[in-house]
Amino acid sequence: MIEFENVARAYGRKVVVRDLTLTVPPGELFALLGPNGAGKTTSIKMLTGLLRPTAGRVRVCGQDVADDVRRAARFIGYVPEEPFLYDKLTGREFLEFAAEMRGLDRQARESAIRRECEDFDLTDFIDDLTETYSHGMKQRLALASAFLHQPAVLVIDEPMVGLDPRSVRITKDRLRERAAAGAAVFMSTHTLTVAEEIADRIGIMDHGQLYFLGTLAQLQEELAAEDASLEPLFLQLTEGSNGR
Amino acid sequence: MADEHPTPRFAESPAARIAPSADLSADREADIFARMRHRVLRTLLGQTFSRSRFRVSLVTSLCVILWGGMFWIFHDGFIFLQNNLQDPEIHTNVVGAVFGMFFAALMVMLVFSSGVILYSFLFCSKEVTYLLTIPARTQRVFLHKFQEAVVLSSWGFVLLGSPALIAYGVTEHAPWHYYAMLLPNVIAFVYIPVAVGAILCLLVIRFLPNGRAAALYGGLGIFVGGLLWAGWRLAGGSANNLLTPNWFVELFDRLQFSEQRLLPSWWLASSLLDAVSGAWAESVLFMTLLISNAMLLRQVSQWIAKKIYRDAYSGLCGRTRRRHRRPGRLRFDGLVSAAIDFLPQPAKLMIVKDLRLFRRDPAQWSQMLVFLGLLAFYFLNIRRFTYNAYYVGWVNMVSFLNLAVVGLLLSTFTTRFVFPMISLEGRRFWILGLLPVPREMILWSKFLFAVGGSIVPCSLLVLLSDLMLDISPMVLASHQITCLLLCLGLSGIAVGLGARLPNFREQSPARIAAGFGGTLNLFISTLYILAIVLLTALPVHFYLAAELLSNGASPSTVEWWVKLWLVAGVIGSIALGIIATVVPLRIGLRAFRQMEF
Repeated sequence: MIEFENVARAYGRKVVVRDLTLTVPPGELFALLGPNGAGKTTSIKMLTGLLRPTAGRVRVCGQDVADDVRRAARFIGYVPEEPFLYDKLTGREFLEFAAEMRGLDRQARESAIRRECEDFDLTDFIDDLTETYSHGMKQRLALASAFLHQPAVLVIDEPMVGLDPRSVRITKDRLRERAAAGAAVFMSTHTLTVAEEIADRIGIMDHGQLYFLGTLAQLQEELAAEDASLEPLFLQLTEGSNGR
Repeated sequence: MADEHPTPRFAESPAARIAPSADLSADREADIFARMRHRVLRTLLGQTFSRSRFRVSLVTSLCVILWGGMFWIFHDGFIFLQNNLQDPEIHTNVVGAVFGMFFAALMVMLVFSSGVILYSFLFCSKEVTYLLTIPARTQRVFLHKFQEAVVLSSWGFVLLGSPALIAYGVTEHAPWHYYAMLLPNVIAFVYIPVAVGAILCLLVIRFLPNGRAAALYGGLGIFVGGLLWAGWRLAGGSANNLLTPNWFVELFDRLQFSEQRLLPSWWLASSLLDAVSGAWAESVLFMTLLISNAMLLRQVSQWIAKKIYRDAYSGLCGRTRRRHRRPGRLRFDGLVSAAIDFLPQPAKLMIVKDLRLFRRDPAQWSQMLVFLGLLAFYFLNIRRFTYNAYYVGWVNMVSFLNLAVVGLLLSTFTTRFVFPMISLEGRRFWILGLLPVPREMILWSKFLFAVGGSIVPCSLLVLLSDLMLDISPMVLASHQITCLLLCLGLSGIAVGLGARLPNFREQSPARIAAGFGGTLNLFISTLYILAIVLLTALPVHFYLAAELLSNGASPSTVEWWVKLWLVAGVIGSIALGIIATVVPLRIGLRAFRQMEF
């Protein structure tokens, strides 16, 4: 369960997130959309504890992130837009580090790594150094590391960037599986078709404010555009914003 | 417009698994980090030794040569002190004062450099962003980067300080425990300024995130001011002739300020001097004082990190201000552009572009400015040293040594800033590669940028040194020619090797310069400086010495072979300068034409 309660964040005088109130219940896959500079990544950074809100509260499974970020992090699996991997570790060594930091014992660790290698199709290169990986391979490894401990909350910033069609399919399926297993999945994306296809609900953010929160059907209803796809609706809602 | 609609479209069995992942003990967490670091180090060493044997052999050989050379200089220096200061008490006091001063200066530098290093490690590294999102303790993340900073800070001390310390032990016939205590003493000593630097860094970023640049420049100003003050005190009008016993006693009096009992540098100097003299108990006492303070400061820095690191990180994020610049050419760029108007348009544009990038990155030029300032300060104060007729012969030698120092400073500039330019260009080569500009033009523009940027400050510095030393116009002219040859040759070497041995994987110019190509560049540059300076300095020195011995008789009385050597030296240095400029550039041009990006 993810809760943003009247959250605001400013960088100096500039307010980048204003009065964000949002709840993502267990079992829901939520997609946050918005033009560049809308405040999506800042919201995600507050959710993962990297940034502290200037006002309001962010809770993960009831735990206030600002109060005890370490405890909150134990509920979360996070993949940033540009994930960090240790160049001089193999994929397996990196997954072992991530799994150990999550407190998995040897048996659980081995079984989790085996499972994620199969699910994300990593087996062929898992014992190579990550410095030799392509962008897509790195992204899949980062996703696998976030899934290892089967977190209650998955937070993913732009999950599909640089992935080939097969990897996109795998990632979409895995995200849906996690949501189906009861996890709250919070995804930020520019790929509207992905949001349209797999998200239970979407939020559209611009200039730090959440302009819309609901299902695609509700958005169509709101904008009186039945059967329209997400793209024209998104463009209509964010008209005038040229991104930053 | 927002409407809560919590019914998932795809929900099958929302049997939420709310349990967090297991909580790790601090010891277990430390083990996991240690294992990860061990794996990274093992891979790094394995790769280095299996793929780059030549590189490793060369770097090791260079380090051994450098270490051996420094050991030899220090050994001779300590023997010289022994012979000139027969009184054991004065001797010990002078050595103690010199060690105290050296360690105190080092301590201040370490506080400053570790603060800057830890700023980049703790607040600008992608690894830290990752580690702060996993359930690792904040103080563990801090300690992980702190230990890296200790290693980075201490290796230079070990390489540069160990020849002096071992040479002192050898000349004083120190007992074995002196050598055994060196490493723990040095490590404990390094921990203290690094911890202080870390604490200052955390406090500045937490409480003055907008004033961090002011704090950096303020710290730099205090550091440089302190150095100038110390230099002024040391060089101030001595009543005695250089390197005489009385001069040493005077020097000792002037160094007293570094002997404050509360300074860790004094504890280190005392521990080492007591170990040499066989005062075992006192030596161990000072060592334990260092170790206990190092451990305390490490704990304090960890405690502060636990309290404020995450807040500091969060506060800093997004503070990078967007600086709006007026479109069009800036005044300074306009001046430079006008000055190089005779060049082809593409070369002119490349030079202005490089200058703009260089100017807008203060990390690039601030250190160089400090060194140039210190050198200028030293040259301005040369006259404060007093010397009698016996030392007049030294003046020319000192002038050439000053020239060599300017050359060495220039070689660090070309290694640190010019050598990485081609490597850094690789990432934006898609822009340059698509322009209708011959590839050679890119390399030539780098070369002209390097020569133009170095010739003005170097010539002025050398001129300042010569004017202060009041040397003859002939030597002054030869210095200016040598300076020009140094600028051309060092720029040619850096640009040529930079194109021949690029590193497109690395984005940091400092790391590119610290790699194999950079090390080789520095080594070749040093050899070139020595060769050029010796070729011009020795004949001039002997020519003037011959003149002096003939009691100012006309130059015609000087032996013909000295004159021949003088001419040959000048011609040889010009020939060497041309070779050092042309050959590396040709190699670089050939490699650059064939390079695939």
